[in-house]
Formats: sequence, structure tokens, C-alpha cells
Amino acid sequence: MKDIMTETPFGPEDMARRRKRAIAVALILGAMVVLFFITTLVHLGGAVAQRSF
Amino acid sequence: MSDANSHTADSPAAITGGQGSVGDYFALLKPRVMSLVIFTAFVGLIAAPGTIHPWLGFVALLAIAVGAGAAGALNMWYDADIDAVMKRTSKRPVPKGTITPEEALGFGMTLAVGSVLVLGLLVNWLAGALLAFTIFFYIAIYTMWLKRLTPQNIVIGGAAGAFPPMVGWASVTGSIDLGAIALFLIIFVWTPPHFWALALWKKINADYTEAGVPMLPVVAGADETRRQILLYTLVLVPVTLLPALTGTVGWLYTLANAGLGAMFIWHAWQVFAIREGAEAEAACKKLFGFSTLWLFVVFALILLERALGLPLFPPVLA
Repeated sequence: MKDIMTETPFGPEDMARRRKRAIAVALILGAMVVLFFITTLVHLGGAVAQRSF
Repeated sequence: MSDANSHTADSPAAITGGQGSVGDYFALLKPRVMSLVIFTAFVGLIAAPGTIHPWLGFVALLAIAVGAGAAGALNMWYDADIDAVMKRTSKRPVPKGTITPEEALGFGMTLAVGSVLVLGLLVNWLAGALLAFTIFFYIAIYTMWLKRLTPQNIVIGGAAGAFPPMVGWASVTGSIDLGAIALFLIIFVWTPPHFWALALWKKINADYTEAGVPMLPVVAGADETRRQILLYTLVLVPVTLLPALTGTVGWLYTLANAGLGAMFIWHAWQVFAIREGAEAEAACKKLFGFSTLWLFVVFALILLERALGLPLFPPVLA
């Protein structure tokens, strides 16, 4: 008997596409972190540790 | 919204969603349009007086590119019904059925908000606000309102494509100057003759007629469109020389543009004068191809002058 709770409407090809999409989203999120980090350093400028805030 | 689901209801994506590949999502961004946006924004960034840290310049271009992609995705969401009818656009992801209209909407909105926030937070808020307005203009003013309403859709809607160099410029200066407005005007006035030359092609014209989009050749006829192409071209050539008055360019740009402008007028005249048969179609194709190359060369000349360190004219308009 079919268990409708565990059946997925997606075949292997669909799941492969989903996996690739998930990897792309992960890479974009990682790139965003790097983007914000480097931009923060650029805005701060040099000799940050020597500054008196 | 448009009745997109009526054309995609039988597709797997319309039922379940989640069928789109990474390539399908990339296609939603209209990469060819995006490349032109990146190029013109880059020229605006380089032509602007002042300097910007190279990394921040890169961030600005990235945000502008993603903002352009967002506008493309939102356009494909709203226009899915007419895209499905026209042969030229029927293979796009939404009418093809690999991405649902809701997915395209969510993707476009996420990128739109993200690109504006990144540009505003990391570069400056005037540039961010201009990018937000550009996306709004393309979607709300052009796609949703004018495109299906008036044959002047391209004239006013063309402003959306003309904003990127202004956004690039504002990323450097934090202001909107006459030099930026001159670059805006070049693309704004260039857009109608460029797209009307395309719309005069028989198969493209048939597509627009089938979809009920009131492009000028469909509503006013081919003869009136040819007249308008010539008139806009005659306005475009002097507009191209405006950057000389704002101190943005020098002799190389100005002299080269005098020649390029004469060639543009000649192509527009050919379209105006030859009205029947294969030669008329060929003249339209030549004008469309030439106008695409023309815009690239005009903006590339600005870059070339900067790269060679050539002197610029003193600003007459300031």
C-alpha cells in the first residue's frame, strides 16, 4: 500500500535540480558574507587597531 | 497582474513549482540586457568626476546588475501571458512552464530589495534610491501601465534603460549632475529608433499584433513609424554631443560622434525612404544592428578617452 506521507512528487531529475539550486543559493549567501566583510574593511580604512574610538 | 496562469496551467511547474534549474533562473535575469546595463553603468561610474574605491565600484556595479536582473524577472512574471503568445519570447522560463509566475515574482522581489539595500548600505543611498526608482519605473510605469496602453510605451519606458549610467555616476559623486543627465538623455532618445526598427520587422510586428501590444507600427502603421524613427534620430545626434558641454568628454568623442551621428542619420533615412519589399526589411535590420553597435561605441569612446588620459572640454553647462 502506498504511503502518501512519505511519497514525493519529485523524481530523481527534480531532486538533482533542487540540489543544484540549493548549492547555488549557498554559494550566493557565502559570497554575500565575503562582500559585506571586505566592504566593511574598505569603509574602515587602514590602521583600525591603532584608532582611539 | 496579467493572466499568466492561463498559459502555463498545464505545465508541471504550474502545478507543483520547484521545477526550475539554475539556468532557468539565470534566464529570468535577461542576461543580455543586464550586460548592456553593466556596461553603461560602468561608463557612468568612470565618467563621473571624483574617485571611488575600486572595491566599492565593483559592489556598485554588482548591485546595479542584480537590480537590472530583478527588473527582468519581474517583467517576465507580469508579461507571462503575452510572452507565451509571441514566438520570440515563448521559450522564456515562465511561459515554458519551468518556473511558476509566483516563483518569478518572489525571485524578482528578493533580488530587487536585496540589490537596493546593498547599494544603499555599502555605497550610498542616493544611488540606492535611484536604483529602486529604476526598477519601479520599469515594472510599474513601463511593464504594467504603458506597454499595453499606448504606442508611446517605448518612448517613456525607455527611461528605465537610461538610468543605469546615472546610478553609476551617483555611486561616485552622491549627486545627480548635468553630466549624468546628458548620458541619460543619450540612451533615452536612442531607445525609440532602436526598438521601432526592430518592431518594423514583419515577424516581430506579427508577434506584437498577435499579443495585442500597441507598438507604434501596429497602431499607427509602418509609414508613421519610419517618420518617427527619422525624427528621433535627428534629435539624437545633437543630444549625443551634450557631454561635450558638461565637460565629460573631449575631442576624440566629439569628432567620432559627428561621424557616427551622420551614419545613424543615413541608416534612418534608408528606413524612411525604402518602404516596400525585402530591401525595406533589410534597411530596418541594418538600422537595428547599427544602432546597437552605435550605443556601444559612443559609450566606449568615453572610456577610451579616460584610458588614454586625453584632455576633456571645460564645462560650459555646470
